Amino acid sequence: MTTTQERIQLIAETCSHDEIQQWTGDITAHDLHAWVTNELGSNMALDAFLAHGPLQSKAIAPACILHIVSGNTAHAAFQSIIRGLLIGSHNVVKIPSAGLAEFTDALEHFPDALRELIEIRSSLEQQDWSRADVIIAIGSDESIAAIHQHVKPQQLFIPHSHKVSIGIVYDDFEAAAIHAARDVSLYNQRGCLSLHAIYAAGDSERFADLLAIEMEKFSQSNPADTLTASEAGTIRNLRESTRFCSSNGPEVKLWESSDNLNWTVIHDSSAILKLSCLNRCVYVKPLPSELDTAILGPEADHLSTIAIHPFTQENAVSLEHLPAHRICPLGQSQQPSLFWHHDGFAPLASLVKWKDIG
Amino acid sequence: MAQAINGKPISDTEFNTLAMLVFTHQYQQNKPYQNFCNAIGTSPEHVSHWHDIPALPTDAFKAETFPLTTVPIADVQKTFLTSGTTTETKGKHHFASTDLYDQSIINAWHELKLAEPAHAIFLIPHPEQSPHSSLSHMMGVIAQHIAQGSCWANDDSGALDLEKIINATKNNQPVALFGTALSFLHLFDSIESPLPLAPGSWAMETGGYKGTQHQLTKSELYQLFETKLGLHSDCIVNEYSMTELSSQFYSRGLNQAHQGPSWTRTRVIDPVTNTDAKPGQLGHLVLYDLANLHSVMAIRTQDLATQDLVTQDQTNLEVSAPYFNLIGRDPTALPRGCSRSSDETLSR
Repeated sequence: MTTTQERIQLIAETCSHDEIQQWTGDITAHDLHAWVTNELGSNMALDAFLAHGPLQSKAIAPACILHIVSGNTAHAAFQSIIRGLLIGSHNVVKIPSAGLAEFTDALEHFPDALRELIEIRSSLEQQDWSRADVIIAIGSDESIAAIHQHVKPQQLFIPHSHKVSIGIVYDDFEAAAIHAARDVSLYNQRGCLSLHAIYAAGDSERFADLLAIEMEKFSQSNPADTLTASEAGTIRNLRESTRFCSSNGPEVKLWESSDNLNWTVIHDSSAILKLSCLNRCVYVKPLPSELDTAILGPEADHLSTIAIHPFTQENAVSLEHLPAHRICPLGQSQQPSLFWHHDGFAPLASLVKWKDIG
Repeated sequence: MAQAINGKPISDTEFNTLAMLVFTHQYQQNKPYQNFCNAIGTSPEHVSHWHDIPALPTDAFKAETFPLTTVPIADVQKTFLTSGTTTETKGKHHFASTDLYDQSIINAWHELKLAEPAHAIFLIPHPEQSPHSSLSHMMGVIAQHIAQGSCWANDDSGALDLEKIINATKNNQPVALFGTALSFLHLFDSIESPLPLAPGSWAMETGGYKGTQHQLTKSELYQLFETKLGLHSDCIVNEYSMTELSSQFYSRGLNQAHQGPSWTRTRVIDPVTNTDAKPGQLGHLVLYDLANLHSVMAIRTQDLATQDLVTQDQTNLEVSAPYFNLIGRDPTALPRGCSRSSDETLSR
């Protein structure tokens, strides 16, 4: 049994390794203290009974958390496991059948005191399901629905299903294009915080032109991953379909990396949000005067993050009515704060239960 | 063109000559296609081999405002629609007449020496029930021109009528069952005890499971044919086609290549380089179909395949014709396919 203070030190040291920091970001012990305090009221909340109105209360971490992670990126796996380790739970991690080497290889950098709190599974046995107090699932809507069928009434289920993120550019196209290229391209657009479309006010076609330039620059300094035949075929199909429409009318226009599939930018005059085929393919659309779910279409229900430029309180609050749980500066969509409410859940507070005395 | 699609093999030279004529016709008469060709800097003057005829993705058939046809829309007599949910945009394939389409079905059947069923049982809605389904239309052509007798096993609501099927199979005469993979699964789910078919019976299945809850491999499906109907895998033909085409490709049994009639050609393209995949290398299938005279003859699919150097004997279809090893629908492509359309009907 370790204290919160001890776990914070171990996690901060672990996250200082380059191999892990690329996924978790730079996390210090100070950050972790602040995070626990912010969510649980005190950084001692898991270690002692503390005053809670007329009572004394202690946060009780689940004995065992089952994390079922997707293979899109290793980010979510790292985020989820750090939350479980921080509160001192035992963690069973189900990785995709194709593996998640970025995550499992990095475990060698975890100290024994943390490593012994982690078990990796490539398939789940009945006992893995039954021993879990909390089941966190990250994946497609179909996967989440299938996992949900295993959840018992006494188990807490935290689903992170299909999500999509978008950007909105109000002004300052040159700087915005640099930020947008980064948010689209990082991790080959495979995460739920990756931008699928960017809505630009004013001359959106000019923004698409600038974005194409920045996508090429980003691609040169950060080469894309090797594509499978399936991924490459999907991009080819998208490009040829767009080329066909583009050759027959002004509604769509195509920019593409030449001689390779490194990046694709499509200007589409329709405001309806379309899913990208990923791997650095992005839509640019004119920003409608009113942006609401009716205009965005059914994908709006899956909004995770809206990255905006310039980022102002006024701009951010004006988008409050949309279903996204996060509005952040463009260029930072892929680096959420430790403090963010992941899909609206408080990451630590939603895991614990409380014991009262008095 | 009707003379070319007559069931007699077409040489490579003849195919190329006809393909150039069709391309020129389509470039001149199909304005949206012409615009696409111009956008990539290609026209009939620049093309001398069918390989180089620009292929359109199937999604191009979904563009509502640019109908892909060489005939005026006012002259369109028949339109086949791709399957999909009510919210998905459906592809449209227009025909001024289905004469050439029907001729392609019938003559390919003869050229590829497929068996002519004495009694056909269709687990697919009748063309009158599903007038925009190219699969139902094809089955209607088989019923009218190829099968000696036939029975349509779907009731008015589109659901399978099990009693009809049992009655049609109980006189110990060989039958041929035609259906989507999903319609066969529904049949297998419906029959409690096996329904062994008479010797000489066979089945033709088509379509996959994308967009449904079903996850069955082809060998698992064919094992069910054996268990439920007593049909060995050699007695099962897979038909591969799509709404956007006018010809069909067939394979028999497991792990066999698909063949089309001699008025078709296929390429497997490495999507990374956009050039021909090496033998055995996975790529996307591009189909060239001279019977697609009134739309576009070169179609780029999202189906994965390999093009191997198989011999004629390996195909089991007794004729030299274009072949490919179909792997299946690209898993990253959006759900589509006639099998799912049937599933939706059957699940009502």
